Amino acid sequence: MLDKRKIRLMTKAAVYEKEYGGEDFKITGYYKKDYASLNTWITLIWITAGYALFGGILFLCFGEALMEGITIMRLIFLAAVALALYLVLVILYGIGAGNFYSKKHIRAKQRVKKYLRDISRLEKMSEKKEIYRP
Amino acid sequence: MSTLLVWREKLQRLYASYSIYILKGSQFLLGLILFGLINYNIGFMKMASSVFCTAGLAVICTFLPMVIMVIAASALILVHFYALSLPIAFVSAVIFLLMYIFYFRFTPKKAWLVLIAALAFGLKIPFVIPVAFGLMGTPVWIVPAACGVISYYMVDFVKGSAAALKSADADGIAASLAGFTKQVLGNKEMWLMIMAVVIGILVVNMVRSRAVSNAWKIASATGSVVCLVIAAAGNVALEGNISYMSIAVSAALGLVLGFVLEFLFFSVDYSRTENIQFEDDEYYYYVKAIPKVGVSAPEKQVKHITEDAGGRNTEDILLTRSLSKELGIDKEKTE
Repeated sequence: MLDKRKIRLMTKAAVYEKEYGGEDFKITGYYKKDYASLNTWITLIWITAGYALFGGILFLCFGEALMEGITIMRLIFLAAVALALYLVLVILYGIGAGNFYSKKHIRAKQRVKKYLRDISRLEKMSEKKEIYRP
Repeated sequence: MSTLLVWREKLQRLYASYSIYILKGSQFLLGLILFGLINYNIGFMKMASSVFCTAGLAVICTFLPMVIMVIAASALILVHFYALSLPIAFVSAVIFLLMYIFYFRFTPKKAWLVLIAALAFGLKIPFVIPVAFGLMGTPVWIVPAACGVISYYMVDFVKGSAAALKSADADGIAASLAGFTKQVLGNKEMWLMIMAVVIGILVVNMVRSRAVSNAWKIASATGSVVCLVIAAAGNVALEGNISYMSIAVSAALGLVLGFVLEFLFFSVDYSRTENIQFEDDEYYYYVKAIPKVGVSAPEKQVKHITEDAGGRNTEDILLTRSLSKELGIDKEKTE
């Protein structure tokens, strides 16, 4: 006979595996701190590349006007502004990415925990059935 | 109103029964409109702008996650730009890459919002976006909306000045790169629309989340009016050429969409609002509870007399009934 409780648990587990399974197992393979810091570093590298590209685009737009009659002092000032902006961006994204990936790890861990609990329930139900089988 | 609610209930049931087909169908339709619009407006590469390519891409994207459709649309735009001019394709690729780096790396599943925003602008109904995004999303949705607006205006600019851009290619790559970047980033209409959409989303979202009666209706109306005022005022100040008729129609459509979304996702009965006050050791609580409106759709029950009879004729059935009544078989069964 069909066991409704078992079907419900199996469906729940299958839906979880389809929706989040792969990514969640990958995330929970790391400790929270390791996962968050690794991804924050990757984000910072991307941000540096993005900032360079953005700077390049801005230079294409306003480079000619900026370079007209440039002096050493003005060049140093421009470099300082660019560096300050870069630092602000890195700090903002560093903090944001750290929080984002920590929360992502916590959520993934909670989901994996629920999934494993369902799986162990399923196992227990199967064991019970084996014992009472004539 | 109750008829509409019954219809809503029926729609929900229909969606629950055929969600996979409805989702895939709408994904296909979205792909068809999106790739069709791209190919119609900037179909510089003949091979990529054919009907087969449009339909083929839409079919492929139907069976893949939405993020693939975003990537395919970006790739198609770049291919057409490349056919027109290499510098334009390069600058556009950099702009797309910047969007990915600064936002979509974190939420790739929300990338389809860019498509919706760009599509609404392409269909000349821009102010549907602030209302829809403000009601259904969070303030963070301003980022995909802004990215959608930038993508649309980039494509629109290339469409409008394709011949000039192609001839500029002869002046040299550096000059062409600088010229295109300057014109795209210096497009005042684009920045005005970004401002209108961003402020619109924030206003709609803020009003929607207030604990006032008819918050969704007020939010939709306020958002539409705010967008309309910003666009009209900006157009006057910047001496732009935005059509007033178009923005007015789009704001009205936004308002209608807001009412439809409220009906579908937030049906409540304000006349039965309860204001409750209670306390515990640490706090006083002032709670406002508004009941949801729900109507169960009537179910039709069809009785198949002939099927139940198993092929017997009416006389046989009547005879069996009268006999079982006389013999008291029915009573025994029920007992």
